[in-house]
Amino acid sequence: MSAADNKQLMENIFARIEAGDRSLFVASLADDVTVTVTGQYSWSQTFRGREAVLRDLFGYVRSLLEEGSRTLPFRFIADDDWVVVEARGDMMTKAGERYDNHYCLIYRIEHGKIRKIREYQDSTLCERVLGPFPAARKQAAG
Amino acid sequence: MSAADNKKIVQHIFDEMARSNSAPLLESLADDFRFVVMGSSKWSRSYDGKAAVLAELFAPLRAKIEGRITIIPLRLIEEGDTVVVQARGRNTTVEGKAYNNVYCNVLRLEHGRLKEWIEYCDTALVDAVLGDPADAVAATAGSGRST
Repeated sequence: MSAADNKQLMENIFARIEAGDRSLFVASLADDVTVTVTGQYSWSQTFRGREAVLRDLFGYVRSLLEEGSRTLPFRFIADDDWVVVEARGDMMTKAGERYDNHYCLIYRIEHGKIRKIREYQDSTLCERVLGPFPAARKQAAG
Repeated sequence: MSAADNKKIVQHIFDEMARSNSAPLLESLADDFRFVVMGSSKWSRSYDGKAAVLAELFAPLRAKIEGRITIIPLRLIEEGDTVVVQARGRNTTVEGKAYNNVYCNVLRLEHGRLKEWIEYCDTALVDAVLGDPADAVAATAGSGRST
C-alpha cells in the first residue's frame, strides 16, 4: 500500500473512533502488533500481540474512563509505511476528572495492518490523572 | 522546497546534533521560529520567536546539561513541509544525573528554514531530572557560567 493508502486507513480509523466505533481499529491490528509507550515512567513498556495490547493496555485505560472518551486527531503525516498522528484526548475519568492528554502516535503499517505503534504523551499528566501503571499488568519491556 | 529537500536539511541538523554540534540548528532558525514543549512539565509552553527560544529555552537547558547537548536521530518521516524526527537524548546534567529522554519532534519548514518545532517527550523525566528552568537561569547568573 502507498503512503496515501496508509494515511487514508488511519484517517478512517480515527473518524470511526471519533464516532464511538473502535471496530476498524481493532480489525486493523496485526496479530503480532507491538505498542510501545515511550519514556521511563510507570506506563513505559512494549505490549506484544493484539490480545495483550487490547487487554493489558487499551482495556485497562478504558476501565478508568467514562464511556464516550475519545482521541481526536488534528494532523496526519504519512511517508512510506509510517503514519504519524498528532492527537488530543477528549476524556473524562470515572473519578470525574478531565483527561485531555496530547499524543504523538507513530504507526507502522504493512499490507493494510498496523504492525507497530509508538506512543509519545504527556507522562506527567498521565501519571497524575490515571495513576501509575499497575505492576501486575506489566509485561517484559521490549 | 520539496519534502526530500526538507528531509535533507533536517537530517543534516540532527546528524550534527548527534555529534553535539548545534550550529546547523541555530543557523536554520527563522526569526519567527516557534518551539512548543508539549504537555504539563515545568518547561512546557510555546516559546515564540527565535530570541525567546534561545534565551528562555535553550539557555536554561544548556545551563542544566554538562558539556554540549547530544540528540541522536532514530527515524525521519516527512510529508510536504513537515518532517517528524524520532530521537533520543544522551546527556548528563551538571549535577551528574543521566538525562536520556526520548523525543518525537514535529518540525515545519518554510523556504529551507525551521519555522516550528513541536516536541513530545517524557515530561515526567523532564521535571524529575531538569527541574525548573527558572532555577537554571538563576544558578547560571549566580555562578557566572556562560551558556
